[in-house]
Amino acid sequence: MEHLVVHFLHIDLATALQVVLLGFIGGVLSGFIGSGGAFFMTPGMMNLGVEGVIAVASNITHKFGKAMVGSRKHGEAGNVDKKLAIFLLVTAVAGIQLAVFINSMLFRGGTGHGSAKGAGANLYISIVFSTILLFVALSMLRDLINSSRNKEEGGGPSQKLARFFKRFNLPPIIYFKVADIRVSLWVLLGVGVATGYLAGTIGVGGFIGVPAMIYILGVPTAVATGTELFLAMFMGAYGALSYAYQGFVDIRLTMLLYLGSLLGIYLGVFGVKVVHEKIIRLVTSLIILLCVLSRVIAIPVYLRQLNLLNMDPSLDVYFNMTSKFFLFASGITGCLVILFFVIRAYRQRRGIQHSIRVACQDTSADLKPEAVTTTG
Amino acid sequence: MPIIMISGAPHGQSEALAKRLQELTGWPLLGRQVLLEEARKAGIKVGRLINAVIRSVGSQEKLAREKDLYLAFITKRLCESVIDDNLIYYGRFGHLLCPGVSHRIRVGLTTPMHQRVKNVMQQLNLPQEKAITYLEQIDADVEKWSKFIHRETAGHDPRYYDICLNLQHINIDYAAEMIHQMSELPEFAATKQSRRQLEDLLLAARARLLLAANDQTRNAELGVRAKDGVLTVTYMPRQKVDENTIKNALADLEGCREQLCTMAETSILWIQERFDPESESFSQINQLAQRWGAAVELLRVVPSTEAEKKPAQAEPVQQSAEYTGGVEDDGPEIDDGGLTRTMDELIAEGRFAGARTIYGDKKDILDVCQEGGNYSLVVIGDMFLEKGHEARMRDTRELAIGIRDSIKVPVITANEMQSRFLFGKRHLVRLLAFAALVACIYLLVFHFQEPILSLLGGKLHEKMKWLSSLAVAIFVPVVAYCYSTVTGLLLKAVGID
Repeated sequence: MEHLVVHFLHIDLATALQVVLLGFIGGVLSGFIGSGGAFFMTPGMMNLGVEGVIAVASNITHKFGKAMVGSRKHGEAGNVDKKLAIFLLVTAVAGIQLAVFINSMLFRGGTGHGSAKGAGANLYISIVFSTILLFVALSMLRDLINSSRNKEEGGGPSQKLARFFKRFNLPPIIYFKVADIRVSLWVLLGVGVATGYLAGTIGVGGFIGVPAMIYILGVPTAVATGTELFLAMFMGAYGALSYAYQGFVDIRLTMLLYLGSLLGIYLGVFGVKVVHEKIIRLVTSLIILLCVLSRVIAIPVYLRQLNLLNMDPSLDVYFNMTSKFFLFASGITGCLVILFFVIRAYRQRRGIQHSIRVACQDTSADLKPEAVTTTG
Repeated sequence: MPIIMISGAPHGQSEALAKRLQELTGWPLLGRQVLLEEARKAGIKVGRLINAVIRSVGSQEKLAREKDLYLAFITKRLCESVIDDNLIYYGRFGHLLCPGVSHRIRVGLTTPMHQRVKNVMQQLNLPQEKAITYLEQIDADVEKWSKFIHRETAGHDPRYYDICLNLQHINIDYAAEMIHQMSELPEFAATKQSRRQLEDLLLAARARLLLAANDQTRNAELGVRAKDGVLTVTYMPRQKVDENTIKNALADLEGCREQLCTMAETSILWIQERFDPESESFSQINQLAQRWGAAVELLRVVPSTEAEKKPAQAEPVQQSAEYTGGVEDDGPEIDDGGLTRTMDELIAEGRFAGARTIYGDKKDILDVCQEGGNYSLVVIGDMFLEKGHEARMRDTRELAIGIRDSIKVPVITANEMQSRFLFGKRHLVRLLAFAALVACIYLLVFHFQEPILSLLGGKLHEKMKWLSSLAVAIFVPVVAYCYSTVTGLLLKAVGID
């Protein structure tokens, strides 16, 4: 019997460095927007020749530890509401199960008459992905523009939806101390199941969970990011142990990813602390938009596979390449934008810290107040 | 006996009420119109100020200077008009004048609209419709005026007053009688402390006017404060004034026990809910101020929830400055969040640039910062104390970002000021130990790839699948923890924390 180990990649220095770089970009994105590691790192590793399932398994194993570190760091900054995370986790599991059921049905539904098995599921996922995330990204951008115009609101995210749901006020009402919000359990259940379903359908948790927490529950942006990472830790742990049991985890890839991602995640979390939350929302929405574009470009391929579009199969490769290009572009661009803001904020802080350090070390007599203060 | 400050809408009956009170008490009377006329005669461009504020035109800097002068003048006139601790003043925002003087009775007078319309029709000979339009316009203008001059818009908020009277069902005589009786309450009797406060206000106002009257100091941006007869004038060296110039300008100043001239190259705004001059933050900010030649302005924030129990208004520190002349007054001690003690320390160090208390939330703090001076640094200390630790940290951080974005100056939290202490030898040892451990783990894994991969997906895994899961469950968090400790400490060492 062939062991899975034969499918594990031979790792040379160049490959290792590329994996580290993938990890770094994924880490920065995760730390800053609370999600974004998986969509970037998994296809990135597959491009390097790693088998899809091994890439997914190694990445999810890496996510387990990365989310643990990230949420700890966010926790130190007061950005993790554990109680909220647990409520969302429990309800999201139900939503995920529903999504898995629907996806499985669609996957089995491949006809085998010329259409690729799973093309239906792919198309379904791509359409839901594009529609939902396009809506999320455009809403976030619109809200950003509105909040910039409306200075009276303080420039924060729109609370219209959160206020709307608050009006139901159906008991029991639960208070979340860290997020400093009160939410009806029923609203929470709805949000949890819906985000779980969408996350289970399109495979990206944070892209849905973070905006849902911000706009529907009224959670501050930084807390939404931190709580999402805390949530991801449990998801990651479950995934890692399951895949490890099946023998798909390549621990070397996981460790190489850590080399980049844990550095990246620290920078991302630092960014959340020093960058205006509008920038967080802007970067998140831009990354989501590029991801949507990437998925939209892949849709004609699935339509062709389902015989719903008459297209030369040789064009598939171009569509896939363009789709992949936008996927990587979203990650790299997002990472560069985040690093730009982080470095700028860091330099400002260093300037202040330096002045303060000099001031506090220098207590020479010529700086005593008598020199500049006189009594008359 | 107290000072009675009657505030009412234009063309209300505040003048009639004031006059009736004068008949009852025999106390001196002063009205807004008289003050405006005298200010005009004294050379303050009141008309231009009113016009600029209402039409929102003119340089904000010049307007601010004109406003300071106007306020100094009316404060001086009000304080000088007090005879035997008594005065009756009527105007639109009298309740906001002479802050901190406890023997004031702040009267809010509401006159029914139909009565005001009737007054306008009689006084200005206007038809009813035009009288209504006229009143609506004048009310809007008054709102703008109060926002600019007194930084207040909520002039109708009952929390600003000691008593609010509505003339819908009572007449002027009853209203005057009620105030008269109230004025006999011991709570509104003058104390040494409140008299001292009035004297300080007068001293600062006189000093401000003398400085404005002097050619050499007229255009300088000066901070003028008085406490216990000690006058502090803060000035910037880039301005064409110096200590001697200021002293010359203030040569004729009466009632001044001592003059302190503080040269501030710049100013630091320190925002906090409770101040403590013995805290480490105070020591650091003081050292920083000395190094930079900066003056420190204190802004005490009383959160909205607490403010609901108190009159909600932005007020200068004099309110909390307690002068007892060595004799403690009876009654409860005022808790000013350590502001007075901190202020005293700063004055002693020659670093005091002013102090204020505001009641409100983040938005109010941002408004005050925007209206404030040219700060070089804003330090945010302990804030949002009623909230949990996490929410407090987050709100402080968001406030810092908000202030930085709105006034474009560096903002730092008190914790960040101390961050230089965070990376020491202990951290270095920890960093080296974890770095060595991480290096060992990586070397071992990549050196013994074969057996490890066998455990994860090879022969060994085939035999003991559960062991793979267990190994991953233990190994992954350990690696993540060790390496994240190294990364975290490394970044902390370079100031990214």
